[in-house]
Amino acid sequence: MAGHTADMMSIKAFTLVSAVERELLMNDQERVNIECVECCGRNLYVGTSDCFIYHFLLEEKVLPSGTVAFTATKQLHRHLGFKKPVSELRAASALDRLLVLCDSCISLVSMHSLEPVPSGARIKGASTFALNENPVGGDPFCVEVCILSIKRRTIQVFLVYEDRVQIVKEVSTPEQPLAVAVDGHFLCLALSTQYIILNYNTGFSQDLFPYCSEEKRPIVKRIGRQEFLLAGPGGLGMFATVAGISQRAPVHWSENVIGAAVCFPYVIALDNEFITVHSMLDQQQKQTLPFKEGHILQDFEGRVIVATSKGVYILVPLPLEKQIQDLLASHRVEEALVLAKGARRNIPREKFQVMYRRILQQAGFIQFAQLQFLEAKELFRSGHLDVRELISLHPFLLPTSSSFTRCHPPLHEYADLNQLTQGDQEKMAKCKRFLMSYLNEVRSTEVANGYKEDIDTALLKLYAEADHDSLLDLLVTENFCLLTDSAAWLEKHRKYFALGLLYHYNKQDAAAVQLWVNIVNGDIQDSTRSDLYEYVVDFLTYCSDQQLVWTYADWVLQKSEEVGVQVFTKRSVDEQQQNSFNPDNVITCLKKYPRALVKYLEHLVVDRSMQKEEYHTQLAMLYLEELLQQRVATSSSDAATTEMQTKLRHLLQKSDLYRVHFLIERIQGAGLPVERAILHGKLGEHEQALRILVHELGDTAAAEDYCLWSSEGQDAPCRQRLFHTLLTMYLQAGPLAPELTVAAVDLLNRHTSEFDATQVLQLLPGSWSVQLLRPFLTGAVRGSIHTRRTAQVALGLARSENLLHAYDKMRLKGSAIQLSDRNLCQLCQHPFSEPVFIRYPNGGLVHTHCAASRHSSPTPGTRT
Amino acid sequence: MRRPDAKVVLLGGASVGKTSLLRRYTERRFPDSVSTVGGAFYLKPWRALHLSIWDTAGREQFHGLGSMYCRGAAAVILTYDVTHLQSLVELEDRFLGLTDSANKDCLFVIVGNKVDLTEEAGEGDAHGLGQAGGARACPRVPKQVLREDAVALYKKILRYKMLDEKDAPAAEHMCFETSAKTGHNVDLLFEAVFDMVVPMVLQQKAEEPVETVDLTGHKPPKQARPRCCS
Repeated sequence: MAGHTADMMSIKAFTLVSAVERELLMNDQERVNIECVECCGRNLYVGTSDCFIYHFLLEEKVLPSGTVAFTATKQLHRHLGFKKPVSELRAASALDRLLVLCDSCISLVSMHSLEPVPSGARIKGASTFALNENPVGGDPFCVEVCILSIKRRTIQVFLVYEDRVQIVKEVSTPEQPLAVAVDGHFLCLALSTQYIILNYNTGFSQDLFPYCSEEKRPIVKRIGRQEFLLAGPGGLGMFATVAGISQRAPVHWSENVIGAAVCFPYVIALDNEFITVHSMLDQQQKQTLPFKEGHILQDFEGRVIVATSKGVYILVPLPLEKQIQDLLASHRVEEALVLAKGARRNIPREKFQVMYRRILQQAGFIQFAQLQFLEAKELFRSGHLDVRELISLHPFLLPTSSSFTRCHPPLHEYADLNQLTQGDQEKMAKCKRFLMSYLNEVRSTEVANGYKEDIDTALLKLYAEADHDSLLDLLVTENFCLLTDSAAWLEKHRKYFALGLLYHYNKQDAAAVQLWVNIVNGDIQDSTRSDLYEYVVDFLTYCSDQQLVWTYADWVLQKSEEVGVQVFTKRSVDEQQQNSFNPDNVITCLKKYPRALVKYLEHLVVDRSMQKEEYHTQLAMLYLEELLQQRVATSSSDAATTEMQTKLRHLLQKSDLYRVHFLIERIQGAGLPVERAILHGKLGEHEQALRILVHELGDTAAAEDYCLWSSEGQDAPCRQRLFHTLLTMYLQAGPLAPELTVAAVDLLNRHTSEFDATQVLQLLPGSWSVQLLRPFLTGAVRGSIHTRRTAQVALGLARSENLLHAYDKMRLKGSAIQLSDRNLCQLCQHPFSEPVFIRYPNGGLVHTHCAASRHSSPTPGTRT
Repeated sequence: MRRPDAKVVLLGGASVGKTSLLRRYTERRFPDSVSTVGGAFYLKPWRALHLSIWDTAGREQFHGLGSMYCRGAAAVILTYDVTHLQSLVELEDRFLGLTDSANKDCLFVIVGNKVDLTEEAGEGDAHGLGQAGGARACPRVPKQVLREDAVALYKKILRYKMLDEKDAPAAEHMCFETSAKTGHNVDLLFEAVFDMVVPMVLQQKAEEPVETVDLTGHKPPKQARPRCCS
């Protein structure tokens, strides 16, 4: 299980390349071993067990196969003059010095000549040492060195200059220190039973965790700013910051790790048999390289060197991009993204962004190919994918005019959707559905900028192909569908209605309407809209192209006069008044379509209340003709006739504009007494009208009704006259027509207030009983009394008003006025020469002649 | 990589279900998990903060690491197994000492896991158990640790930390019984902890000095360090 997991996670991050062959070093001296290594730029130094230092120049070559090879050229070697092995080497390139630890003494030698410094400066009594890579002093001409003293439990900090050394600090530790790494003021120490962080400036120490130095060699390795890597219990690589906390999960090494190095984002560890590579990002083991008898593993400014006692090797990292590409190639999206994100710090911002976006896009296509659409979408979005990459996977979706070519190198391995789905129709449909929703989402965002045409055209094609409802929505809202491409596609998929919309959107209304007309006529098939005819009518109604409306006016009217006429009646009023849609033109056009004409005239007369005699007359005539026709067709008066008759009556009653005589002529003998009566009424021939109603029609209710409506808006005497006329007519008939007598009684009793009771009483035959006329009489008497009382009240009010005025007058006249020479006329400012004057209610005195002229000139004072 | 704003640490003996609890919460599943080596952590965005949840190894071998993991922790979730009395005892004996390195105001939460295995769970949770594969293979066992025991431990911890019971959150809010297998109380546990941690972090942030350098605010320079090896 564990092995399998390791396999899954594996990646090729490094290759192991030989740097220095043993022959170059040892001259076949079997007993000589490599003790330590230092690498600084191209300089490689090797310290041996027989107290020699070797200096090589490394040359890196990239072979045509892409692999890297190193050749080391020996520059110098020098014996240090002891019998002890060279145990540590450190270069201080700024000082051109190599710090050499040999026989517990750190001496300085020139990096180039390997000669000791003339001053002989040295640090004695060191068991091991570490350079501070994050020095606290600002002096560039010295390095900070921390040594573990061979004296018990002591640490010393030195500043090392070109040719002298200076001790800065000495700190004692609770236990014997065995290994050290430095960052700023912080020392990370392996003591004999635990790791600690020690601030050598303040002396404050912080325990990290215990371990057992008897069981294994401690490892303390600075891996970056304020962070160390330590060998923990159970083969753990533990991370710890100078604050004593762990910010990364540990990596799991083997129990017997002897060295560790860091080459971002990897932690490399060495044991007797293997070099293992773990990612610091996900803590997983990524690579294992067999390597026997290694005993040194160190990184030098990003270059990782391993050595056995006989040879030196370099671990060459594969470029991150290559690693990421390998991961993507094996569809390990998560890991690739983690690695790419982790590389952010190590790559310049612009370069990183370009690279990272590309990786996101590639990852998106991998997810897409696995139909993981949600993930794919997120990756495409965050990777700012040119959506045309995605569109181009679907054959024929991009418009022929599109300038798009796929990105090179390609983002994925698929030629098209067919290949991707291996012809699986269901998968293909899913991909298309995803593309639809994705395009629909991005089309209005800035992602679409620059190629909206490509996106919208592709979307239209997808919708049309899938018979998707949104096709119409797309076409009726703002879109950038390319006409020729889209039109051909819609035609291919028989989306003629949509094609019409496309034409309309592209201002080709004529083509659009022609297409729709063809569908309605059944010349081509498209069932998108069952109410297409109404749609066309509606379209023409709101169409500003007058010529187009006239072209199809006959067609819409032929299809349905009632509906078709809407192209004229529902048009905006402004448009109807001007230009070719004025009523006369329209009426001429509608001559052939009587029902449409009726509708249109109704629109003019009723809706728009046009006060033009012709329209009223014509409408009345049309009603009449229609009515007569219906009469002929159906002997009995059914609903339609009644409706027509109601309309006609209504028009005749309400309108005062039609030519009455003309209509009377037409109506004679047509058997339409009510209408005839209305017409007579319009001429003021009320008696005749009533006679028709009473005698011809025998409809007393209609007669009563006539009196009411025809006197509508007229004064009371006029109405009284009408009722009297009717009453007289009833009474004249005498006892021969008893039903009229009854009608007369009813009329009187119902409309009491419309009659002058005194006149009526004179007309009534003496034989009628009072009982019969009781309601009338009661009403009449009540009315009369009411009138009298009202008059009395009015009289009383008038009297009291008169009294008030009289009082005012008295009050004003009440006081005497003295007229002297000092009084001046308020108007002309002259004294009064005569006793006659006029006094205004406010007390002002004026000449009579001034007052007379004042009425024609502006007022000097208010006259209350 | 974003720095977490606060740390929550899961502590407890081997096989009490720390990793399972965390995976149930983060992955919504209950996979077979192997013994945790060293530790692992999970970054959880919560109300504009990033919290790191450390899953530690319960095995004795890694015991020494606990103190470092707890350093600066805002909350420690002490986990035991309700079917195993020793696991509660261990919390006090082995793990409580590790929390000395945690924040002064660190919250202590006590969680009894594996309630699905106990006889009590039988009636109420039968349905949930039936769905979880292999439930029948685990015979029901009597509950060995009662909730009261956990509450008592919580109070003991407060005394150990020399906190007044009145100032610390009430025990009933800090003791949970969960099942990583069925998911019982798992979300409740973590989210309750996060919700308690957030105000603490915000308060800390408000108190600590701003990290931006104020160029206008002039401060007298500190006394220069002695130059020579005096």
